[in-house]
Amino acid sequence: MLKRSVIENVLYAALSMGGDFAEIFIEDKRTGSIRLVGGLIENNLSGRDYGVGIRILDKFNCIYAYTSDSSEENLIKVAKEAGAALDSFKTDLVLNLVRRDLVENSPIIKGLSKTPKSAKVDILKRAYNAAKDYNQVVSQVTTSYLEEEQHILIANSDGLLAEDNRIRTRIAVSSVASFNGEMQQGHYAPGASMGFEFYDNVKVEDIGIEASRIAKTMVHADYCPSGNMQVIIDNEFGGVLFHEACGHGLEAAFVSKGTSAFAGKMGQVVASPLVTAIDDGTIKNGWGTTNIDDEGSLTQRNVLIENGILKSYLIDKLNGRRMGMDSTGSSRRQSYRFSPTSRMNNTFIDGGKSKLEDIIANTESGLYAKKLGGGSVNPATGDFNFAVMEGYIVENGRIIKPVRGATLIGNGTKVLELIDMVGDNLNLGQGMCGSSSGSIPANVGQPTIRVKSITVGGRKGDE
Amino acid sequence: MDLTLLINEILIRGKKKFDDLEVFVLRGKSIDLKVFQGQVDKYSIAETGGLSLRGIKNGKMGYSYTEKLDESSIDMLIDEALENSKYIDIVDGDEIYSSSRDYRELDNFYEALSLSTMEERLAFTKRMEEEAMSLDGRIKSIQACSYQEFQQERYIFNTKGLRLKDRVNGGFAYISVVAREGGDIKTGMGFRTFSGLTEVSPLEIAKEAVEEAISMLGAGSIKAGNYSILIKNTSFADLLNAFSSIFSGDNAQKGLSLLKDKVGSKVGAEIISIVDDPFMVKGYASRAFDDEGCKTFMKKIVDKGVLTTLLHTWKTARKEGLVSTGNGYRSSYKSALGISPSNFYVENGSESLKDMMTEMGEGIYITNLQGLHSGLNPVSGDFSLSCQGYEIERGKIKKPINQITVAGNFFQLLNDILRIGNDLSFSMPDSGYFGSPSILIKRLSISGE
Repeated sequence: MLKRSVIENVLYAALSMGGDFAEIFIEDKRTGSIRLVGGLIENNLSGRDYGVGIRILDKFNCIYAYTSDSSEENLIKVAKEAGAALDSFKTDLVLNLVRRDLVENSPIIKGLSKTPKSAKVDILKRAYNAAKDYNQVVSQVTTSYLEEEQHILIANSDGLLAEDNRIRTRIAVSSVASFNGEMQQGHYAPGASMGFEFYDNVKVEDIGIEASRIAKTMVHADYCPSGNMQVIIDNEFGGVLFHEACGHGLEAAFVSKGTSAFAGKMGQVVASPLVTAIDDGTIKNGWGTTNIDDEGSLTQRNVLIENGILKSYLIDKLNGRRMGMDSTGSSRRQSYRFSPTSRMNNTFIDGGKSKLEDIIANTESGLYAKKLGGGSVNPATGDFNFAVMEGYIVENGRIIKPVRGATLIGNGTKVLELIDMVGDNLNLGQGMCGSSSGSIPANVGQPTIRVKSITVGGRKGDE
Repeated sequence: MDLTLLINEILIRGKKKFDDLEVFVLRGKSIDLKVFQGQVDKYSIAETGGLSLRGIKNGKMGYSYTEKLDESSIDMLIDEALENSKYIDIVDGDEIYSSSRDYRELDNFYEALSLSTMEERLAFTKRMEEEAMSLDGRIKSIQACSYQEFQQERYIFNTKGLRLKDRVNGGFAYISVVAREGGDIKTGMGFRTFSGLTEVSPLEIAKEAVEEAISMLGAGSIKAGNYSILIKNTSFADLLNAFSSIFSGDNAQKGLSLLKDKVGSKVGAEIISIVDDPFMVKGYASRAFDDEGCKTFMKKIVDKGVLTTLLHTWKTARKEGLVSTGNGYRSSYKSALGISPSNFYVENGSESLKDMMTEMGEGIYITNLQGLHSGLNPVSGDFSLSCQGYEIERGKIKKPINQITVAGNFFQLLNDILRIGNDLSFSMPDSGYFGSPSILIKRLSISGE
C-alpha cells in the first residue's frame, strides 16, 4: 500500500515533536451497493474509499489526524502538524517493523469483485419476488445488496506491522404491508464476513418471505398494551438488548472515565447466575469478525460475564493505559476517518437449558418480543429503549395475538439481574453499531430469554 | 493535479462515453477537540475529500466515486459508472440538470470562525468543562466535552454547462454531564452551533447541561394513561426530523408516505405552518443551490394546516408536472441523489411556555425524546418513544419523571395540536436543520408504572 520507508518516515515525523507512541492506519476500500425498488434496479453505486490516519499518544492524550492525500510529503506534513499539538518532550525512536502473522478467521471462497454484477442482481430479484408474492397485502418491497472489500495496513512505533483484508456482504429486504389505509414494515437483513458463497448457504427467498411475514403480521396487529410485564425476548437479533444495555457499558472508553454503570465492578455479581455473556471476534466468517483489531492486536474471544459475575471489559490500547490493563483486541473504527476505540465484535448471551416452548408455557401474562428493532442506551445510567418490531401477547402460557407499536424501556444492570429463563437456541443477528469511532458491523445474539419484568410502552395506556 | 483541471478532464473524457455527466466534489477540513479533566483527551484534524461522477446513457444513470483524487482515478470512475448504469431498470426521466437562473447570493462562510486559533478553541472547551464541574457539587463527571469546526467546499460541474461552487463553515460545541445523588445517576446535555467563537458562551452551554441533569435527579415513573402533553421546542424539532421523510416526494411516489395525494388537503391543525427556508441567516443547512445544482427557495410546506407541496428533486417534480423545490440532497459523494429538507421549522405561535403550562393545568411536559431512530415508523406515523420530562400540576412543574414512554401517531398528532409557543429553537444539526417552538398537544398515551 505504502512503501516501508514512507511508513517509517511518517512514524518518525509523528514522534518528532513528542509523544510516546505513533501509529499509521492506511485504508483502501472498495464498496458496492445495488438497490431495487419494486423489483427494479433504482441505484447501483460503487466506489473507492482511500485514506490514511495517523495517531499519536502521549500518556493519556490522543492526537488523531487523517487525510486522503497519501503522498509522502503530505503525510509527513500532517504527522508533524499532529505532533505539534502535543506539549511534550521528544523521545528517541529506533524503528524495527516486524510483520505480524495472522490467522484467517474468515476464509473466502468466491471473491466479491470477481462475481459478475448480474449474479448480484439475480439474488435481489429472487428475494423481491418471494417477498412480493408472499401475500396480497404486501404493497412495496425494497431490496438491497451491499459489499465491501477493505484492505488495511497498520504500523506503529512499537514495531508492529500488520496487513489485512476484510470482505463482507449483506442483503436487506424491507417489505411494506398496506391494509385499510394503514402501513406496516417488516425488515430482515442477514450478512457475513464472506464472499459470494454466502448466498449459496442461505436461501434468499426465505429472507424476502421473512420480511413480508413480519409486515403482514403487524398490519393486522392491534396496538400493544402498556405497563410492567414479563417479557420473552427471542433469540438472534433479540441480543441487541444486551448489546445496547450492557455491552456498551463494558467498553473501556466509558469504564476508564468512570462514566459506565459497570465501572469498578470487576469480579462482582452483575447479572442473574443464568447469564454468561461473550464477545468473540474470531467466530468463523461472523459479521463482526476480524483477524486483527484496528490497532493491529489479534482479535480474541472474551468472556465478559460468567454465571452472573463480571469477568472482563472490552479494552483498547489507549483506555487500557488509563485502566492499567491490557488490550482485549477490541479496538475498532469505521474507517481511517476515526480514531479507534473499544468496541464490540460478535457479542452474545451464551445458550442455557430451557426450551422455547417451555419458556412460553411458563409465562402467565406478558409480551413475547419476537423481533426487536434498534434501540439506544445512556451508558452512564444504563437506561435503554428498544422498539419491538414483532410482538405477541402471551396469556396463561399461550401466544394469544400479535401486537404492534411496543417499546421496551428499562435499566441495563437491573434487567440483567431479572433474567429468569435462558433458552438453548443461541443464534446471532447482524447489525451496524454506531458509536464514537463510527458505524461498524457487529453481531448481536442470544438464545430466547425471559425477563421477570420490563416496562412496555404501548398505545393502550388507558385500558 | 489542480481540482478544476481534474474535473474538466473527467468531463471531457466522460462525454465520449456518456450522453451527459456531472462531477460532484466535497472537500474540506475539520477539527474535533475533546477535553477530559482539563487535559486534551482527543484532538483530531482532517483534510479529506471525495469526488463522485454520475453519468447518463440511454436514460440510465450510473454512479461511482473515489477518495483518491488524482489522474489515475479518472478511467476507473468513468468505466465503473458506465458499467453501473447498464443495470438500471428504472428509466423514469433521470437527467443531468441543466441550470437555473437567478441563484440567490449567499455567503455561508464566516471568516471570523476560520481564523480562530488552537489556543482559543482549547480555552473555550476547557472553560465549558470547568464551568460544568463548578456549577453544582452533584456534577460528578463529564461524559463528553467537545468542540468541532468544519469547512467544506462543494463543486457541481456538468456537461450541460453547470459550473457551481460554494463553501460553508460552522462550529458546534457540546457537553454531556453526569449528576449523582446517593445511588441516583442522571445525565444532561447542552450544545450550540455557531459561526464565530464570540457568539457563544461556554458557561451557557454548561449551564444547560447541568440544569437538565440536576433537575432530573429524583425522577421516577408515573401512572400509565392518556395525558395532556406539552412538548419542548427542541424535542418537537427532533420528532419533526425523525418524521421528515414523510414530506419526500420520492417516498410519496413509491407508496412509502401517507402524504401521497394529500397536497392541497388539510394535514394538521389550522394553527400549524411548517417552513423550509434555505436562506435562513446562520442556518446550518443554508444553501443557494441543491446537490444537483438546482436553485433553492423558501416555501411553506404546511400553511395553516394545509399541505402545499412535498419536497422534490428535478426528477420527482417532473413526474408530477411540477418544478423542483431545490431539495436534492446527497449525504456525501458516496450516496445517490435523494431528498432532504434544508432549514425546516414550525413557525412561531403566540403563546409563552408558561401560559401553555397554565392552560394545560394537569399533564406532562416532555423535554427529551429517545430512540428516535428506532421507536417510530415513518411509514405508518406510529411512534412509541422513551422520554423524560416533568409532571405538571395546576399549571406548575411538580416533579421530574423518566422511565416512561410516549406513544401516538404523528399524522394524528399534527391534527391534535392545541397551542404553539413563541420560543422557536433548533435541534442538533442532521441532514437538515430542524426547529420548532414548544407545542401543546391534546393528548398522548403514556406508559409507566
